[in-house]
Amino acid sequence: MKSLMKASVVGMVFAAFGFAPALADGFKNCTKLAKASWKPASEAEAAAKAAGYEVRKSKVEGSCYEVYGVKGGKLFELFYSPEDLSLKHTKAK
Amino acid sequence: MVDVWDVPLRVLHWILAAAVLIAYFSANVFDTLHEIAGYTVMALVVLRVAWGFVGTRYSQFRNSVRPPRVVLRFLGQIARGEPGRYLGLNPAGAAMAIVLLALLAVSTISGWMQITERFFGVDWVEMVHTVSSNAVMILVAVHILGVVVMCVMQKENLIRAMLTGKKRQRAE
Repeated sequence: MKSLMKASVVGMVFAAFGFAPALADGFKNCTKLAKASWKPASEAEAAAKAAGYEVRKSKVEGSCYEVYGVKGGKLFELFYSPEDLSLKHTKAK
Repeated sequence: MVDVWDVPLRVLHWILAAAVLIAYFSANVFDTLHEIAGYTVMALVVLRVAWGFVGTRYSQFRNSVRPPRVVLRFLGQIARGEPGRYLGLNPAGAAMAIVLLALLAVSTISGWMQITERFFGVDWVEMVHTVSSNAVMILVAVHILGVVVMCVMQKENLIRAMLTGKKRQRAE
């Protein structure tokens, strides 16, 4: 019985990690557009720069451009849509 | 039964294991949890290293850490089915502990660097963090495998020993 309890606890922990991404704060969905039609990442960086951020780098995160920006000594992750370069989400670090 | 693993060592071991797993699986998913787990790992690494110098007999590094040629010789003995029986860490186990602690130090420090203004978004820091963290998880798998192998070869429950602290006495 004891090992059944242990197994259930372990199972629940893994299950928690299973649905947890739904609650997560990793931002991944910015567009449904196919990658071939995406605007270049450099335009997302330009948008961030125009908004007053010092751009460190950018990368693709799911279907978003994630731009690492610094403004006023504070650190931000900016998520842009590759479809129209609208800012979908800002995360302060 | 004889006392081998003291309370601080056992507490440090299991909380470190939990914190490392939580940190690894929360990466890029739950940022705040990931950071808290990471700082916890950092503190535990410092405590474990300190305990390796001032702790009880089997916790001290000088009683178990051996040069690479001794580790290799010990691995050869394992391959021949002659593990002997160490009450504390055997040479391979001690080597694993040192390498894991070093990689965890690199991982936690590079992770912390990533949220400083100086190193935010800097590629080499991100790469060091990713590589060292993945290396930790590979070694975690090797560690678990190694423990299982030693359990079978020595015919004792080493996992229970890390919970209770006790092992069978040496055969005289």
